[in-house]
Amino acid sequence: MPEKDNLLEATDVAKAFGNFLAVAGADLVVAENEIIGLIGPNGAGKSTFFNCLAGETMPTSGRIVFAGEDLTRATPEAHARAGIGRTFQVPITFTDMTVLDNVMVGAFLRHPHRNDAREKASRIVELTGLHAEQPARSLGTPGRKRLEIARVLATEPRLLLLDESLAGLTPAELRDAIALVRRIHEMGVTIVIVEHIMEVIMTLTQRVLVFNQGHVIASGTPETVVAEEAVIEAYLGRRHRRLAAGSQPSGQGR
Amino acid sequence: MAVKQLPSSRAVIALLAAALLLYPLILSDPFYRDVGVTFLLAAIAASAWNIVGGYAGQVSVGHSMFFGVGAYAPLLLYTRWGWPPIAGIPAGMVLAVGLALLIGAPTFRLTGHYFSMATIAVAELIRIFFGTWDTVGAAIGLQGPATARGWWDLTFRSELPYYYIFLAALAILLLTTAAIERRRFGFYLRAIKASERAARSLGVPVRQTKMQALALSAAFTSVAGSLYVVKTGFIAPDSGFGILISVQMVIVAALGGAGTLFGPLVGALTLVPLQTVTDNWFGGGGSGLTYILYGGIIVLIARFEPGGLFEMWHRLAPRLRKRAHA
Amino acid sequence: MVVVQVIVGGLLVGAIYALFSAGLTLIWGMMNFINFAHGEFVMLGMYVALLVVTWLGGGPAVFSVAAACALFVLGVGIYLSLVREVIRGPMLAQILSTFGLALLLRYTAFFVFSANFVTLPQTSLTGTIELGGIFLPTAQLVAGAVAIVLTISLHVLLTHTAVGSKLLAVAEDPAAAMLMGIRPDRMQALAWGLSAAAAGIAGALLATAYPWSPSVGETFGLIAFVVVALGGFGSVLGSLYAGLIVGLIQEVSAFWLGAIYKDIVVYGLFVALLWLRPQGLLGKA
Repeated sequence: MPEKDNLLEATDVAKAFGNFLAVAGADLVVAENEIIGLIGPNGAGKSTFFNCLAGETMPTSGRIVFAGEDLTRATPEAHARAGIGRTFQVPITFTDMTVLDNVMVGAFLRHPHRNDAREKASRIVELTGLHAEQPARSLGTPGRKRLEIARVLATEPRLLLLDESLAGLTPAELRDAIALVRRIHEMGVTIVIVEHIMEVIMTLTQRVLVFNQGHVIASGTPETVVAEEAVIEAYLGRRHRRLAAGSQPSGQGR
Repeated sequence: MAVKQLPSSRAVIALLAAALLLYPLILSDPFYRDVGVTFLLAAIAASAWNIVGGYAGQVSVGHSMFFGVGAYAPLLLYTRWGWPPIAGIPAGMVLAVGLALLIGAPTFRLTGHYFSMATIAVAELIRIFFGTWDTVGAAIGLQGPATARGWWDLTFRSELPYYYIFLAALAILLLTTAAIERRRFGFYLRAIKASERAARSLGVPVRQTKMQALALSAAFTSVAGSLYVVKTGFIAPDSGFGILISVQMVIVAALGGAGTLFGPLVGALTLVPLQTVTDNWFGGGGSGLTYILYGGIIVLIARFEPGGLFEMWHRLAPRLRKRAHA
Repeated sequence: MVVVQVIVGGLLVGAIYALFSAGLTLIWGMMNFINFAHGEFVMLGMYVALLVVTWLGGGPAVFSVAAACALFVLGVGIYLSLVREVIRGPMLAQILSTFGLALLLRYTAFFVFSANFVTLPQTSLTGTIELGGIFLPTAQLVAGAVAIVLTISLHVLLTHTAVGSKLLAVAEDPAAAMLMGIRPDRMQALAWGLSAAAAGIAGALLATAYPWSPSVGETFGLIAFVVVALGGFGSVLGSLYAGLIVGLIQEVSAFWLGAIYKDIVVYGLFVALLWLRPQGLLGKA
């Protein structure tokens, strides 16, 4: 793809923790408004790579360029300001605040004045089907995941990194969550999603990258990727059989 | 936010304000007025701490360093250059902010218990240092004007003027805190307290926000120190920088409810009268008892009601209302 | 000769610093929790020694064991009734819990024992010994030696026994330890008991050689922080080296610069360490 079309270009990203090479040279190119999936067994380096993209971890080597800006050594705050938003594997909500206040924290990034931020936050709370005055600590896991998404949406990201935000949901909740992600995508947001749930990968993503041992070992459309030998081998046992048999409704989160 | 939720709270606040304004006129005995002044001082210091310790969740146990700076500044200006101590208030604020900026950067790199410990250590270091520094009177400390040269020396015979000056300072501080609560800065503080990691991911400039909170808190704490010294007229390393000063600020705020607007006020309303009573048991030798009580209260609060009296009230009030209607 | 005396004196008191600091670092390493009342544990150990001597007439061995046992029970009790609950809650509550405890213990001691400095009455360790031209109080020598032995024993306990490896497993990863059949709760209670016992024995040892009052808890607490910061949070062996160094620095500074400056040196070192090398000499970051 010609360079100027790409929203995100991660080139040869590597991250070492002491002697352990968590990410050993991974490439990722994302065009505007794509939905990309990142899959792979645990410990494959997905989360670390994710954290590099979000600015939480500084890569040992490689480059991360977002909308033409080199963010390789930038802080998470700078990433957010540039337009990269993320959720966390275990949702982190501001438990002492209400749902609306949570989302307002996100909204303040682009709207420094309280009334504007509140207006923006209210709209997003409505969009995501949450209750504004509910204390965040009274939310269950699906509610908290939803709140995290609402909150990061309020920062008006161009690229949204979802870290297993759909794990641990009942089939009905999962369908709602997938619908929400689709709606966000339709709003023009580019999405990279880390997931273990095959239904999400197969139905939502346009392209999939497979991680194993710090490398990207396969990439392509969901259908081609799940059929590849290398991918099936990367997963062991039960997963091997599930992948070979095709997609199933919500698998276990981990 | 406390102000928004209860419709009757506006009335309560108005009542409280009226009570505070009229208190020294109604209870005009010097003893009561003195308690009132002590209460205001405790409320100011704790409210100042509250900004960075309560709202932002950075539990500093070394805030006496700012109190002490604010306390020494007026008397230093007086003893060296004959300036009226009142001029030391802005000077103290500037110095306190400078100190905050100096120690903030390295100290905020530490988190949790490490941060608290670092603040204790820095405050202790400053206290010991002042105890050896001749310019500030070393272990003996400094004294203010014995008799007033003019109204600006603020050496009043009666407690009354002090009371209203302190009340004004408290009002300014609370108004500032209320303003912060409503704005982006306040939201960012609370986000930082809840999770710095999540806050960062949302674009909150965590480092700068913490520094600003510390600077603001330091400035107001310094004012408390200055007011203290304007009233008492002398200062020494222990009365300025002692660790008990730091601890008391934290306790008063935590007892009432750290991170709430009126928590420190409630805490002071509870603890100051209590301390006055226990200090006078056993004919003045009861100050040991005061701290035993303090210690016990803190442990109980930490163990059973970390949100302080405010939190307890919010929990129990609906139940009491139900019983009243039953 | 005087210099040698100062150095040896510093090392001897430093050995005891090492012992009680080892207790603090154990908790720190296990739970990322600072016991702000640790200095008070040492102080209590000193008073237990006094009480045993005056009421039961026991000697150093007796009152040292008594201090260890009494403080062990106190440590476990505090973990079960207080720490276990607050550690799951907000940071403010965690900090306040042991701070409040410190105040409670310190001022109760002031109330019960008064603020006067006391020393132990004559024990089997009273007197001085001459070693190569320098004169040392026997008590100091014995106390220092015992402290070193005990600190090393604690290290050996952690690294070479089954119990020790369980403690370290919980320190490393409580969830994984649970999967291996270890009860993190029990191990943490044990750690608190050991930590307090170390402080208690150190207090008893100090009591044999130095005068004290309830105010020493605050001082020892801060010294423990310095030693742990220098030796590394979580490293008992680090506490050993660091304790000796801190004791040495303290006595040499007092000798060289004067008593008032010795505190500045020690706390200055502390602040510098926190800012420049939070992980200390040997510990994990």
